[in-house]
Amino acid sequence: MTSGSASQDKPIPEAAYALGLPLVLGVAVLVGWQLAVRLTGISPVIVPAPTDIVRSFGSIAGDLLHHGWATGSEALFAFILSVLFGVAAALLLGFSTLAFETFYPGLVVFQIIPKIALAPLFTFWLGIASTSRLSCAVFISFFPVTLATMTGLKRADVNALRLCQALGASRLQTFVSVQIPYALPYFFSGAKVAATMSIIGIVVGEFISANAGLGYYMLRAQSYGETAHLFAAILVLCCIGLFLYIIPVQAERWVRRWWWN
Amino acid sequence: MREAMAPLGSMMLSSAADLGGRIIAIFARGVRTLQLGRRVLLPSALALALMFGWEFGTRAAHLSSMIIVPPSAVFAVLTASYGILLQQAVPTIVETLIGFALAAGIGIVLGTTLMLFRRVRQALYPHVLTFQLIPKIALAPLFIVWFGVGPTSRLSLAVFMAFFPVVIATIAGLLSADRSAVRMANAMMASSWQTFISIRVPYALPHIFAGLKIAVTMAMIGVIVGEFVTAQAGLGYIIMMASSGGDTALTFAAIILLCLFGLALYGAVALGEWLVERRMGVTVTSGEF
Repeated sequence: MTSGSASQDKPIPEAAYALGLPLVLGVAVLVGWQLAVRLTGISPVIVPAPTDIVRSFGSIAGDLLHHGWATGSEALFAFILSVLFGVAAALLLGFSTLAFETFYPGLVVFQIIPKIALAPLFTFWLGIASTSRLSCAVFISFFPVTLATMTGLKRADVNALRLCQALGASRLQTFVSVQIPYALPYFFSGAKVAATMSIIGIVVGEFISANAGLGYYMLRAQSYGETAHLFAAILVLCCIGLFLYIIPVQAERWVRRWWWN
Repeated sequence: MREAMAPLGSMMLSSAADLGGRIIAIFARGVRTLQLGRRVLLPSALALALMFGWEFGTRAAHLSSMIIVPPSAVFAVLTASYGILLQQAVPTIVETLIGFALAAGIGIVLGTTLMLFRRVRQALYPHVLTFQLIPKIALAPLFIVWFGVGPTSRLSLAVFMAFFPVVIATIAGLLSADRSAVRMANAMMASSWQTFISIRVPYALPHIFAGLKIAVTMAMIGVIVGEFVTAQAGLGYIIMMASSGGDTALTFAAIILLCLFGLALYGAVALGEWLVERRMGVTVTSGEF
């Protein structure tokens, strides 16, 4: 039923399947897409062929670089800010019971509500400069970091905490050597959500109002019927999204290795 | 403790200790009630203080009603034009619900299929993971090209955004079943269907519900952003129009309605989780977003 009962007598090793099948599928989809577009003669405004999209990269490389830089740098900045604010808030709530009891229910409510609804308000208050998109993105991606980190701080092993008390460890020592190691995996899972959310915040901000950025560029390409350019911009945006996501993943790997040594 | 020791002492001492013990007991009960009350009182006090600060701050500062309005003005708009607000809420709510239901249904079915067929899983799973990571909101303009500015494009965006977390949670959940439990079922000659229903599904449920909670939020984001971009109807459209027209009170009223609806929808999924947990007797532990 699952990988447990794998057949070992087959000549093709399992790793070849794991690597080969997704590649074959990807290539097959691209080839099928290309053939379907060429054979049906569908308008490139509806569906451009993959080769059209690749070709459009050459013609609009400058635009993509310009708008991609605007979106990418803002998203990265928003991600960094939300991680900093999120951790600071989590530390405050983790240290002070009073602050925890006061703010925690509000944080949970704000985590659940669709905060993206406030995006037009940010634009209205702060104008179409990058400040409005940054605030919107930080507002969206800050809550997952705070809640996840705080959950980690609170879930530290009770036995380990008691041991620290018995050994006469100070509050700070307990915090550094027990609570923070426990909180790290939670923090990183929150940071991964924040990486996704910060780019959503920036792009939605650009949809609403901007004079640069991929969100702005995509809406313009859509209204001009330049669907190949739209696809190219989406691909660039996906690359930025993956790059942002890799930051916390890689950081977690480093921290884990460093902690083990 | 002092109450227990009281009868041991002399008459005078005993009554004094009794009184002391009673006072301590009352005091302890008060502290306990206070501690319980703090969990309710402190957040409520904060909310009230913020409301009052907002109300009187905006009045005292004489800020333009276009920048910020006091809560009383928002409430006035909510009561005065709740008819049109509710009317605009209907498409948003219906699209979110249908989008969520489709994403949940397709996601669970596809996740189960991928779990059952290993080769299909190997071929598709890396692509699903990649799609989970990319900013899917980017496809909003593409859906407008394909489906126009009607509800279909918003619905597609909602399904597309909400679907991947469900697939990934379903696969992860079904594969998370305890190996020794699966082995035991095999040893007891359970059919693969029996193993699936009685072992894999209960293990998967907490994961699936965690995925559904993300999906609810994502479906809502998809519909709202779709309404921002297509600007036809719905609460997102109201927010967009009212904020660009400087009607901040109406903007806030629509945002509050959306937030209430988002909370209700999330609460419905959490309630479903609780009911299933009670029925199946499994402990659903995950839930943090």
